[in-house]
Amino acid sequence: MAFYQYSWTILFAPLLSFVVIIFGTRMWDLASRSRMAAGNGAIHVYDDAHALDHNTHGDDHADPGSDDDDDPQVPRLTTGARLSGYVAVVIMLLACIYSWLLLLDSTGALRISGYTLPYSGIDIFNYSWASASYLAPYEIRFHVDHLALAMMVVVTSVSLLVYFYSQGYMENSAGYARFFSYLSLFTFSMLVIVFAANFLVIFIGWELVGLSSYLLIGYWINKRAKPDEDRPQPATAAMQAFIVNRIGDVGFIIGIMILFWKTGTYNFAALSGTGPQSVQAHFAGNSALLTVAMILIFCGAIGKSAQVPLQIWLPNAMEGPTPVSALIHAATMVAAGVYMVARTFPLFVASGTTAFEVVAWIGAITALYAALVALTQTDFKRVLAYSTISQLGYMFVGLGVAGFYNPQGLGPGPGMFHLFTHAFFKALLFLGAGSVIHNLHHATHKEVQDMRKMGGLAAFMPITALTFLVATMTISGFPFFAGFYSKDTIIGLCLQSGSIALYVITLGTAGLTAFYMFRAYIVAFGGKGGKAFGLWGSREIYRGEGTPPESPLTMTIPLVLLAIASIFAGYWFGLFNYLSPTAHNISLNDLVSDPFTWLGVVVAAVGFACAWWLYGFVGLARVHDVVENNALLRFLHRLTNRKFYLDDLYYWLTKYIFLGIAHIAAAFDFSIIDGIVNGVAFAVTGLGKGLRHTETGKVQSYMYGIFGGIAALAIVVFVLMAFAQGGVKLW
Amino acid sequence: MATLVFWVVAIILVGSALWVVSARRIVHSALGLFVVFAMASGIFLLLNAEFIAIVQILIYAGAVTILILFALMLTRVSNPNQDTNPNSKGWLAALVMSALVAAGVVFASTFARSSTSLLGGRTPYGAGACPLPPNNVIYIGQLLYSPTCYSYVLPFEIASLVLLVAIVGAIVIGRED
Amino acid sequence: MDLIHPTLTHFLVLGAVLFGIGLYGALAKRNAIAILMGIEIMLNAVNITLVAFSFYNTVKPYSTFLTGQIFAIFIITVAAAEAAVALAMIISIYRKRSTVDVGEINLMKW
Repeated sequence: MAFYQYSWTILFAPLLSFVVIIFGTRMWDLASRSRMAAGNGAIHVYDDAHALDHNTHGDDHADPGSDDDDDPQVPRLTTGARLSGYVAVVIMLLACIYSWLLLLDSTGALRISGYTLPYSGIDIFNYSWASASYLAPYEIRFHVDHLALAMMVVVTSVSLLVYFYSQGYMENSAGYARFFSYLSLFTFSMLVIVFAANFLVIFIGWELVGLSSYLLIGYWINKRAKPDEDRPQPATAAMQAFIVNRIGDVGFIIGIMILFWKTGTYNFAALSGTGPQSVQAHFAGNSALLTVAMILIFCGAIGKSAQVPLQIWLPNAMEGPTPVSALIHAATMVAAGVYMVARTFPLFVASGTTAFEVVAWIGAITALYAALVALTQTDFKRVLAYSTISQLGYMFVGLGVAGFYNPQGLGPGPGMFHLFTHAFFKALLFLGAGSVIHNLHHATHKEVQDMRKMGGLAAFMPITALTFLVATMTISGFPFFAGFYSKDTIIGLCLQSGSIALYVITLGTAGLTAFYMFRAYIVAFGGKGGKAFGLWGSREIYRGEGTPPESPLTMTIPLVLLAIASIFAGYWFGLFNYLSPTAHNISLNDLVSDPFTWLGVVVAAVGFACAWWLYGFVGLARVHDVVENNALLRFLHRLTNRKFYLDDLYYWLTKYIFLGIAHIAAAFDFSIIDGIVNGVAFAVTGLGKGLRHTETGKVQSYMYGIFGGIAALAIVVFVLMAFAQGGVKLW
Repeated sequence: MATLVFWVVAIILVGSALWVVSARRIVHSALGLFVVFAMASGIFLLLNAEFIAIVQILIYAGAVTILILFALMLTRVSNPNQDTNPNSKGWLAALVMSALVAAGVVFASTFARSSTSLLGGRTPYGAGACPLPPNNVIYIGQLLYSPTCYSYVLPFEIASLVLLVAIVGAIVIGRED
Repeated sequence: MDLIHPTLTHFLVLGAVLFGIGLYGALAKRNAIAILMGIEIMLNAVNITLVAFSFYNTVKPYSTFLTGQIFAIFIITVAAAEAAVALAMIISIYRKRSTVDVGEINLMKW
């Protein structure tokens, strides 16, 4: 029991690392840098580079003017900065090891403690924040159970690999220590969500991850926008992310309020089940209200997990550094929405099937939309962003279908399974993209993210290419890789549930996924004329400038580890039963012998083949020409490239409707509210100006006042008294 | 007899008070004031307050009048024939106001139901804890100083302190430096 | 006729009338000493009223313990002291400003 009881250390470990970095190593770093600059007599660190030898990577970054961003670079990191990275990595390593041990112990694979964690879990930390007798107690309570353990492993593992990777990626950034502190803050926030035992704490974590995301997306403070590539400033993208999340949070809060109003508690354990404060007791006859509440709670997930209609922030969030994209916007934060729905799964069950159908359909629509848009994107990271949105849609489809079909059965299993595998392969995809971008930056001194300037990179960076290929195969559903199991489970579940529309959408999206992912792979790493019929690259077909090197070890080791995880993470067949006691597990036999599974594989293979043919044999330039010349194709291309004009619609809405209302409100505030305030002040001073004339300085006028008052009072009193007592008395 | 004395004294009192406030020259006002004090002393005599009457003459008619006359001498305006006792600009308002105040008090003491009995007779002095003194002066002396009977000796001591402060204050204020 | 023989009411009315006259003198005059004279008249009116209350049997302690007369003694005492201080002030102002017109002494105005 103690083994599980101490898991709160996992929660507070990244907070510790945040505090240590902010107050310790970062201070050291800042002090060292100013001493360095002062000692050398030079204000710009750029000048130092010419004096350095050329063995470090630093000198490449010391060239001002050719870099796109204005954020300060340093040729070599100070000890304080390096220590920040080590602190974060070591603490996260310990937390990750502990969480893996916990997971292995609880599944029974490795018996360390003799304790069996019950399905309902145990509370590991409780702080009573406020308690009034007539209110439910507001507690900061953390809780660990199977779902939390599964998610925690994902979060800590991916965080660890991303921290390790960032040591290489951010090696020349002056804000290195700040980056690690923000990463630690993010991991802490995510773990708050994972461990949360009631709605209040999960909301705190929700907002904290929003904050961390804001800080990390806008990490490059001075970077400019690139309108010709349709990319905004990172600062703008950060603000957009935060605000769109907040829009989702409005629904979330209202949903929480409805639940609290009826049941009087926020606690998940109390709300689920059949206790006195559960939703089953309080919403017994009123499942419509519960459905509304759960749909509103799902709104929070729509915002956080970038589903349609709140999806516009995630592609723009790619403006942040790539490790951030890998950690936050692929593996963990955007999965917080899925986790929250999984956590509140019993509440959804109690509300009937409507909420689940909403979840599933929004997921399906999002999956399809994002897949269509990703077909024609030219920015490497944006393809991956839309792919993330699409896969999140799959997760919600998995959750929703497992809800309305066979609700006593699978529980949150399929959705969470896809989350589990997706975290690994999506992180791998993003880290690989980061590796490419990092190396092209070395080669060209510019930030190159456009796929049209890449090509044949597999010859230059073979490890990156190979791991990226593994991830691409996984996401496409290549048999016996991880994605195959998770995705085909969901597609199969759609078929079994009888909802043919969902089945067709998910199957079609799988094909589209294969197509656009292989398109991205081939355009970047391979190309027409390369080795292996265009699947592997060669130096001749590189369309850019310079000679990109392979990444350093700190970046390639995480890629390899994640590649291994992408293949083998799918083999945890016991996940369904682990998460939900009544579920039956996937059995490999059933999956392989079902013909519809192979139908899914065939569809994916068709997508792969189309991509290979178009981009490996026909070639990017020729495809481009054909599309431009054909009216219909051009129209379709424009439509998907401009994201079905949804982004433009949102910008128009914001500019004219929201800001218009804001201007009206501001005018109201300025003229009326300020007018009232100023008017009151004006009235007071005017009154003062008038009243001061009573101060004449002459005693006689004061006597007038005194006796005049006496006379008036006397008359009033006597007259009133006389007439109250019934007339005067004469003698 | 007492009635006649009362009416004569009262009429002279009110008349000289009116002269005080309306005389053209302020020295005439001071003389009128002297008459007011004297007539007030007469009223006190009518009310069997012999000691008060004598004290009134001594202090008011004697000391205060002389004091005022001295002050008038020391603050003389240059031309003695002009109006040395002018009215201020708001004299009509003052008239109205004082008439109202007086009317209020008169009303309270005559017409109001709560006023005292108009036929109130007088009773002789009641006996206190001490034996009844033969005349007013001795009685007042007893009331002011007696250590054994009911007395007002403490206010008396405080009044002496007030006089001390007034003496010192008048000297300090009136200093020339 | 009740109006001829002096009763308490006559003395009270006398006091009230004198008070009004004194008040008019205090309010309407410009010479500071004239104001002081008006105040003295007011104090005398009050004395008359108090002694009248002590004479007529209105409230028992007033008659048995001559409270009104004692009060009047103290009023006389304090009035004398006040007149002395007031005249000292007037003389002092006269030395500074060469005037005793209260209309001129208004430095404490707004």
